[in-house]
Amino acid sequence: MNMLMHELRQNQKTTIIWTLSLVAGAALYLSLFPAFANETAALRKILEGYPPDFRKALGITIDSFASISGFYSFIIAFIMLAGSIQAMILGTSIVSKEERGKTAEFLLTKPVHRSQILTAKLVAALILILITNVVYMISVPLLLNAIAGATIALKTFLLLSLTLFFVQLFFLGLGFLISVSAPKIRSVLAVSLTTVFGFYTAGILDSIIGNTAIRYLTPFKYFDFSYIVKNGSYEIRFMVIEVVILILAITTSYYIYMKRDIRST
Amino acid sequence: MNIVLRELKAHMKSLIAWSVGMFFLVLLGMVKYSGFAASGQSANDLFKGLPTLAALFGVQSVDLTTAIGFYSVLFLYILVMTSIHASLLGAEIISKEEQDKTAEFLFAKPVTRKHVVTSKLLASFINILILNLATLVSSVTVVAAYNKGESATSTILLLMVGMFFVQLIFLSIGMAAAAISKKPKLAAPAATSLLLATFFLSLWLDITSKLPDLKYLTPFKYFEAKTIINNATLNPLYIIISLGIIAVMLIAAYFRYSSRDLSI
Repeated sequence: MNMLMHELRQNQKTTIIWTLSLVAGAALYLSLFPAFANETAALRKILEGYPPDFRKALGITIDSFASISGFYSFIIAFIMLAGSIQAMILGTSIVSKEERGKTAEFLLTKPVHRSQILTAKLVAALILILITNVVYMISVPLLLNAIAGATIALKTFLLLSLTLFFVQLFFLGLGFLISVSAPKIRSVLAVSLTTVFGFYTAGILDSIIGNTAIRYLTPFKYFDFSYIVKNGSYEIRFMVIEVVILILAITTSYYIYMKRDIRST
Repeated sequence: MNIVLRELKAHMKSLIAWSVGMFFLVLLGMVKYSGFAASGQSANDLFKGLPTLAALFGVQSVDLTTAIGFYSVLFLYILVMTSIHASLLGAEIISKEEQDKTAEFLFAKPVTRKHVVTSKLLASFINILILNLATLVSSVTVVAAYNKGESATSTILLLMVGMFFVQLIFLSIGMAAAAISKKPKLAAPAATSLLLATFFLSLWLDITSKLPDLKYLTPFKYFEAKTIINNATLNPLYIIISLGIIAVMLIAAYFRYSSRDLSI
């Protein structure tokens, strides 16, 4: 419990800043909706001229494109990129910082099992991500009303916004795994930023060319927003992949951390 | 000179890793192009009709079916990656002495603070130049392998010159952050937050025509691939702005680092 509280306190400020930035970012993008809505009437016409297969490849359905839920789908993609960076930095730093800051010796000589340490850190990271998401999901609908002047169906909003949480979990798990398995992480930021942008770039390039195989590789593509808007649910396949990857990452992390050498100098 | 060599050696491994990484980013990006080129003209037409949508995919007013057109989409992410490298390098090269508690050792030597900053600046400069050249060589060879039309080498060369200015901007911002901040731990996060903020601002500016003057605030808008490809030249105004930012940041770094208490 002590460790958990300590981690929460340590990351308090960063989490507040990240949460505010995510909400502010959403507000900034939402302010574009009125202009966007005017443009869409013309765009619908053009879109109708293209073969359905092609539209599908781009992830556009005519109905979703013109509406606030369609617009919000685009925004959430950017929010997701930022949120993933937050989660990855958190996951990568939370264990590795003990070694970098030379506090690992102090921590590990306390009468606690290594698995307890890892659990405390994992739970702390989860709580921080959860707080970020709760604040985001409470404030963004209000902003939607105030800035974009539109209301979005609650279920659609929750389904779209929860993708942020799931993608963050992916990167948290990945960061955690890297954090316990790399011998020494000199720069958490370098590892986190390049990993997240790498996945993001892969996702962007493939949505341009309409390649679907990459969807299994990059978490940014686990959630097809137009599918969510249309069907009001996630694709089970990708939820299963996500859960499996998370379980693997976490169990491997515990396994490695139980046995690894901790540098003490 | 000793300090320069010491820093070059210390950063050699990470520089090699980054260079290899850039090569693979270009290679994987262009491999995707080869599949895309086969699908023909339709994507191009679609994006032309939809400026907002095109902006969301980062493809505006370039012919996506040409190798250089596709490369221009990739270029934004190459730019982001090298900027991350530059800002982290700049922040870390200054702050690590305080963070790793080697500042006392270093400044017990007969060197002034200014001399140390100059040496570290020179070492960083060489590092980002090498990464730039590595990206240039990777881009030229990989794009040429997929290119069926006229040679894109001169355009890529121009893009890389633009990228070098952006790298220098973020390097100087990183160094200034580390030189000014009293807490060495905060330097890299501060520099990268600024980088992310300007990156998201440039994405925002792509979608909207509101407040176009904000483009002066984000280096990612200074040397955009689409304008460079279409005009075949760098905008001198942005070169001047870049040099201005770099000069201000470096002067701030020198002055502050020479006079402040180091945290030990």
